[in-house]
Amino acid sequence: MTDFLNYLILGLTRGSMYALIALGYTLVYGVLQLINFAHSEVFMSGAFGSYLVVSGVVGSHHNLPWYATVGVLLIGLGSGAAVGAFVAWALERVAYRPLRERGAPKLAFLISAIGASFFLSQLAGKLFNRLSQNQFPTYFNANGAALHIGGASVSWIQLIVIVSALVLMIGLDRLVNGTKLGSSIRGVAEDAPTAALMGIDIDKTISRTFIIGGALGGAAGFLFGTAFVFSNTMGFIPGVKAFAAAVLGGIGNIRGAMIGGLLLGVVENLVPTAPWNGGQAWIGIQWTDVVAFVVLILVLVLRPTGILGEKLGRAA
Amino acid sequence: MSAATTDTPTPSQGPTPYAIKPPSGVVHNPHVRRFVACLALGFVLALMIGEQEGTQQDFGLAFREAVALPRILIFLGIGILVFLAITFWPRIEHFLIRPGIRPLFVGLLSVAVSQTLLKWSDSSVVGNGKFGTLAGKAADTPQLAPFARAYFTTGVAWAALIVVVVVAAYAIFTGQRAVAWVGAGLAVVVGLWAFFSQGRVVSLLQTPDHSTGALVALLGYLAIAAACAACALRRTETADTKGFIDRVFAWRPGMPLAAVGIVVGLVSLGVATWFSPQNEDLTLVDTASFFSGHGLAPLSQAYLSWLGYLLFVVAAVLAVLGCLRRDTRIAWATAVVGIVGAVLTLMTLYSTSSLGAKSGFDGASGAWQNLGGGGWFAAAAFTILAGAGYIVLSVAHDVKVGKLSDLGSDIVGQARQVPGMGKALVLLVVAAALFYPPTATEFWQKVIVSEIGIYVLLAIGLNVVVGWAGLLDLGFIAFYAIGSYTTAYLVGALPITPPEWLRLPPLAAIPFAIVICLIAGVALGFPTLRLRGDYLAIVTLGFGEIIRLVAINNPANFTNGPRGAFGIPQPSIHLGPLHIDWGSSSLQYWYLLLVLIGVTVLLFNRLEQSRLGRAWAAIREDEVAAQASGVNTVRVKLLAFAIGASTSGVAGVFFASQIGYINPDNFILNNSILVVAYVVFGGMGSLPGAMAGAAVLTWLPEFLKDQVPAEDRQMWIGAVILLMMIFRPQGLIPAKRRAAELHGLDDQPREETRAVPAGEGMGGGR
Amino acid sequence: MTATTETPAVSPSEGREIVFDVNHITLRFGGVTSINDVSLRMYRDEILAVIGPNGAGKTSLFNSLTGVYTPQEGSITLAGRTGDAPQTVIGKKTHVINHMGVARTFQNIRLFPALTALENVKVGIETRMKAGPIASMLGLPNQRREERESTQRAYDLLKLVGLVNRANNLAGSLAYGEQRRLEIARALGTDPGVILLDEPAAGTNPVEKRDLADLIRLINRELGISVLLIEHDMKLVMSVADRLIVLNFGSKIAEGLPEEIQRNPAVIAAYLGTSAEEAEAQAEAQPELELIADETEGMTSLAESTEPDGTSFDPTTSTEEESR
Repeated sequence: MTDFLNYLILGLTRGSMYALIALGYTLVYGVLQLINFAHSEVFMSGAFGSYLVVSGVVGSHHNLPWYATVGVLLIGLGSGAAVGAFVAWALERVAYRPLRERGAPKLAFLISAIGASFFLSQLAGKLFNRLSQNQFPTYFNANGAALHIGGASVSWIQLIVIVSALVLMIGLDRLVNGTKLGSSIRGVAEDAPTAALMGIDIDKTISRTFIIGGALGGAAGFLFGTAFVFSNTMGFIPGVKAFAAAVLGGIGNIRGAMIGGLLLGVVENLVPTAPWNGGQAWIGIQWTDVVAFVVLILVLVLRPTGILGEKLGRAA
Repeated sequence: MSAATTDTPTPSQGPTPYAIKPPSGVVHNPHVRRFVACLALGFVLALMIGEQEGTQQDFGLAFREAVALPRILIFLGIGILVFLAITFWPRIEHFLIRPGIRPLFVGLLSVAVSQTLLKWSDSSVVGNGKFGTLAGKAADTPQLAPFARAYFTTGVAWAALIVVVVVAAYAIFTGQRAVAWVGAGLAVVVGLWAFFSQGRVVSLLQTPDHSTGALVALLGYLAIAAACAACALRRTETADTKGFIDRVFAWRPGMPLAAVGIVVGLVSLGVATWFSPQNEDLTLVDTASFFSGHGLAPLSQAYLSWLGYLLFVVAAVLAVLGCLRRDTRIAWATAVVGIVGAVLTLMTLYSTSSLGAKSGFDGASGAWQNLGGGGWFAAAAFTILAGAGYIVLSVAHDVKVGKLSDLGSDIVGQARQVPGMGKALVLLVVAAALFYPPTATEFWQKVIVSEIGIYVLLAIGLNVVVGWAGLLDLGFIAFYAIGSYTTAYLVGALPITPPEWLRLPPLAAIPFAIVICLIAGVALGFPTLRLRGDYLAIVTLGFGEIIRLVAINNPANFTNGPRGAFGIPQPSIHLGPLHIDWGSSSLQYWYLLLVLIGVTVLLFNRLEQSRLGRAWAAIREDEVAAQASGVNTVRVKLLAFAIGASTSGVAGVFFASQIGYINPDNFILNNSILVVAYVVFGGMGSLPGAMAGAAVLTWLPEFLKDQVPAEDRQMWIGAVILLMMIFRPQGLIPAKRRAAELHGLDDQPREETRAVPAGEGMGGGR
Repeated sequence: MTATTETPAVSPSEGREIVFDVNHITLRFGGVTSINDVSLRMYRDEILAVIGPNGAGKTSLFNSLTGVYTPQEGSITLAGRTGDAPQTVIGKKTHVINHMGVARTFQNIRLFPALTALENVKVGIETRMKAGPIASMLGLPNQRREERESTQRAYDLLKLVGLVNRANNLAGSLAYGEQRRLEIARALGTDPGVILLDEPAAGTNPVEKRDLADLIRLINRELGISVLLIEHDMKLVMSVADRLIVLNFGSKIAEGLPEEIQRNPAVIAAYLGTSAEEAEAQAEAQPELELIADETEGMTSLAESTEPDGTSFDPTTSTEEESR
C-alpha cells in the first residue's frame, strides 16, 4: 500500500508536468490544428531561462528560510514562464506564420517545427552546455517529507510541483473560459474564418495562444529542472509523452490535456510497478515508456477522439 | 447565378484554413518591426557563429563572448544590410531581373564558398586544406610555377574575383555587350588560372587529390562567364532562365548530355590522373608508357595508347551527329559505342590496377586500387554519350507513338515539359552515382554508403506512406529495426538462434524481412489507420519507441539488450558461376545498395503510375470523394503502410549486414523524424525529391563537419530545414501532383475553382 | 398535406423494378433531426428529382443512401444494377455501396484537384479492377491490359461529358462547369446502376445548364442509368425529371409528376415561406412556376454560404465520422 501511494504520488508529480506541457500542445492544436513539435524546446528553454535568473538572483545559497523559498519559486516560475512565452512567441513568428501566410501544407509546418526544435535545442547546447545532468542549486531540503499520507510521504518538491501545476491549470481554465481572450481563442478554435468575420484578429489570437502555452511549458521547465535535472535535450521525452497525454485526453481539449497528463503519469508509474508489495514487479520499471505508449495506442484505437473528445470550444 | 460560387466562403481554401488576415487593430510601423527583426537575425547569427560554448560554472560565457565583443557589430551590420535590402527591394528588384544576374550571383557565391569553405587539397602537408592555408604555403614554395604562385599570393585570388564580378555586373547593369564579352573572357581566364594553379600545387604534393575547391571555383567562374554571355546575347531585358534552359534542352534533345559527356571525356583523357601509386600522378599518356612492356593485356594496352582516344572521338562525333540530325540509326550507334567504351574502360582499369598490385606498387592488395579519377571519368563520359544516344531514341519513340505531338511540346503531361530533359538529368545522376564514388576519399565513400545511400532507400520507402498516401508515419525506423533484427536472428547473431534449417546468409534474409515488415506494418496499421492524421503520427511514434525499448529491454533474451547483435556476416552471393563476397570496403556496398535503390525506384515509379498510385493520390486529396468513387480506403492505406514498411525492412537487412553489429541506439526516434524531414525537405510525393532530400540532408552534416564545430551541426541543419520550409515549403523537387496543390496554377482561371475543397493533408485531416 | 405524403407514386410505377426502397428513415445529429421519417421508392430507369428549400435534408438523404451517414431508424434497400437482388444499405461502407452500383457527385465539387481529368476518371474506373501492387510494380500483362482498358474507358467517358480535350489538365485547373461534368464522368466510371447528382447545375451558366440537361437525359436513356437528382434550378428539374419528391424540414411533403408538384400548394408554401392557403391563391393567379424558379435561385446563393460543405452538415459529426 505504501509503495502504491509512493508510486501514485510520483505519477502525479510527473503527470502534472506532462499536463502542463500538454496544455501547450493542445492550445496550439486547438487554434491551428497543428502539432507544435518544437514545444518541447519551449519547455527546455524555460528550464535554462529560469536557471539563469534564479541563480543570478539567489546565487548558490542553501537552505533558505521558507519565505525566501517561496520567493525563489515565484521568481523561477515567473522567469521560466516568461522565457517560455518568449520562445513560443518567436517560434510562431518565425516557424509558423510565414507558412500560414502562404498556405503551406500541414506537413510543412511539422517539418519547420522539427527544424526549429533541432535549432533551439542545439543552440541551447552551444550557449550553455551539453551536459546531461545540470541541477538547480539546492535552496531547501527538497527531498524532506512535507506530509505523510497513509504511510507514504510526499516530498516538498513533489508537493510544490503538484500544487503549482494545479494552480496554473486552474488559472488557464479560468483564462480560457472566463475572459475575452479566452473566448476569442475558443472562437478561433471552433471556426477560424467565422471568428475572423466576427472581428477577431486571428493572427493576434494565435500569437497569444502560443504565448500562453509557452508560459505554461516554460513554468513546467522550471518545475522539472528543480525536481529532476535539466539539459539541452531534456525536452524530447517529456515532450513526446506530453503530446501523447494531449492526444489521450482529446487533443484540442484543455481539460482533456490536464486529465490525460495526470493519467499518463499515474499509469506509467503504477502499472509497471504492480503489484506494489515491495517484491518483484510483474512488468518492471524499464517498461515504463512502453506502458505509456501502449496505453496511448489502446485508448486511441478504442476511443479515437481521446478521453474527453476534441474540441477546444467544447471544453467550456 | 455565379454569385453562388464566388461568394461562397469555403473554409478550406488551403490546407490551413485561415490565411485570411483581418486588419490589425493597432498600427505598427512595419519598418520598425522589420528593423527589429533584422537586428534580431544578426544577433542570432552572432550566437550561432563562433567556437565559444558556455560551461557549467559560467552559463553566461557564451552570451558574453558572442554579444559583448566588437564582433557583434559585424552581425548587427549584416542585420542592417538585410533590412536595407528588404526595404529597398522594389527599387533593387528591377535591376535583378536583368539577364545574367542569376548566374552571376551563383558564380560569385560558388567562388566565394570555394575560397572560404571548401578544401583545395587533401594532403596532410597542407593543414586543413582550405584555400587560405593552401595559399599561404603555396605562395612561399619556389618550385611552384610563377603563375600558380601569383594566384596564391595573398589577396590576388580575391582581387581577381572582385574584378571579374565588377566587370560582369557593370556589363549586366548597363547592358553593354562589348563589356560583357570582355567579362566573359576574363571570367574564363581567371577560372582556368585558379584551376590550373591548384593542379600545379597538387602535382607538387604528389598525393591523390579529392578536393573540390578548385573545381567549384572553376565552375563558379564559368557561371559568371555564362552570365556575361547571357547579357551579351540577350534578346529581352528581363531574364528568363528557365525559358533559356528549356530552349537549350528543346533545341536538340540529347545535345546537352553530349556536351557534358565530351567535356568530362576531355578532362579525363587529357589531364586527369589515371593511376597514382605513391609519388606518381599518371595521366592517360603516362599510364600507357608506364605499363607498356610489362605484360598488360593487349586490349588494355591498346586502350591506353590509342583505342581509348579513338572510341571517345567516335562516340563524341556520333553523339553530336545523332543529336543534330535526330537520326535513330546514328543514335543506336552512339549508344553501342558508348557502352562498349565504358566497358572497355572498366576492363582496362581492372587490368592496369591488378597488374599494378601484382607488381607491388604501394602495397596494393588487389585490383581497383591506386586508381585516380581519370578512368572513372572516362567511363562516366562514355556512359553519358551513350545516354545522349538513348535520349534521341526515346524522343523519337515518343513522337512515333504519339506521346509528343511534335518536338518541343508534350501533349501528355499537363505541365509543359521539354522532351528528354528529365531523362537527361536522370542519366547524369546515374552516371555520377556509378562513377563518382570510386574517386571519393574513403571517408566520403563511407558517408555515401552508410549515411546517404541507406537514408535515400529509407526516404523512398517513407515517401510511399507520407508523400503518396498522405499518412504521417513518425515511427518509420521501427521497421528498419525489425529488418535489422530479423537479419541478426536469421544469421544466428542473437542469443536465440534459429533452427538449423532456417539459418540464412544475410542477403537471403531480405524476403523474410520484407514479409515480417509487411506483417508488422499491417498489424500496426489495421487498428490505427482509421485514425486521423495527427493521431496516426503519435501512434506510429509510440510504436517506434516501443520497438526500440523492446530491443533494449531484451524480453526472453531475444534482442540481447543494449549490447545488440554483433558478428553479423557480410553479404555474399554464390549462385552458380557468380561469386561475390562483400568485404570491408564501403565501395563494394555502394554498388549493392545502388542495385537495391535502382530496383526500388523502378518498381515504385511504376506503382505511382498505376491504379494504386492514383488511389493513394485520391485518398490523400479527398478521402470522402475517394470512398464515394469506390476506393477501399483502409485497404489502400494498409498497402501504403506495408509497402513502405517493407522497404524500410530491406534497408535494415542491408544495414545490419554491412555494419556487422546493431544495437538499439541505431534506431532512435530522432532518426524516424529525420527521415520524415528528408522526405518533406526534398518534396513530398516526389521520388526524385525524396531521394534528393535524403541525399542533401545526410551529406550536409558531413560537409559541415569541416566548416563548423561538430556539435553545432544539428543546429545548422535545423536552421536549414527551417529556412527551407519558410521559403520553399514544397521542397527541393516538388512532385508534379503536389506542385499543383501547393501554388495553384498560373495559367488557368483560379477564382472560379475556389469552391473546391482542397482537402489537403495528413489523412485528409480536415 | 398528409394525403399527398401518403399517396404512392403515379400509376406507371406499378410492376417496375425498385432501385432504392427507403422506409421511414430518421437521421439525427445530436438534437437536430435532419431527416424525419422519410419513405420513398426509386424505380429503375427513371429520373427522380428531390427538391426542397435549403436545409430540407436533401444532401443528408444522399449521404444516408451512400453510407456516409447511418440513419438511426428505418431501412434502405438497394438493387443497384438491373437484376440485382435488393440488399440493405444501412451499415455498409461508402465504397461497398459504390461497388453495389451507386455513384454520386457532390454539392460542393469534390474532385482530386492534383490529378488530371483523365486520372480522376480512372480512379473511379479502376476500383473495379483486379491488378494488385505486385502486378503493377512488375508491369505484368494483365495489369497492362487493365491499364489500357481503363485509359480507353476514361477517354470515352470524357468524350461523353465533352471534356476530352481537357484530359491532361489538372482537375483543379478546370473551369467550374467543367469540374461539375468531370465529377459526373468520374461517377460514371464506377459503372453504376444509379447515379446520385447533388445540385449538378449549381454555379453553371444557362448554356451549361442546357448541356447538363441533355447529359442527364443521355445518361438515363442511352446508358440506362437511373438518376436521382437534387437540384434547385426548377427549369432544369421540370425539364428532365420523370418524378419529383419534395422535402421540407427533413420531411417529405409531396411526391408526384412535375406538373402535379408545380400546382401543389404545400410545395409552393414551403418555397415561399407562406401559409398553404396564400400560396394556393398565388398559384391559381400564376400557374406557371416562373416565380418559384426565380425565388429559388435567390435562395440558392444565399443558402450555399450558410451550408459550406455538402457532407459535413454538422462540424462535430464530420470529425467523428472521419476519425472513426
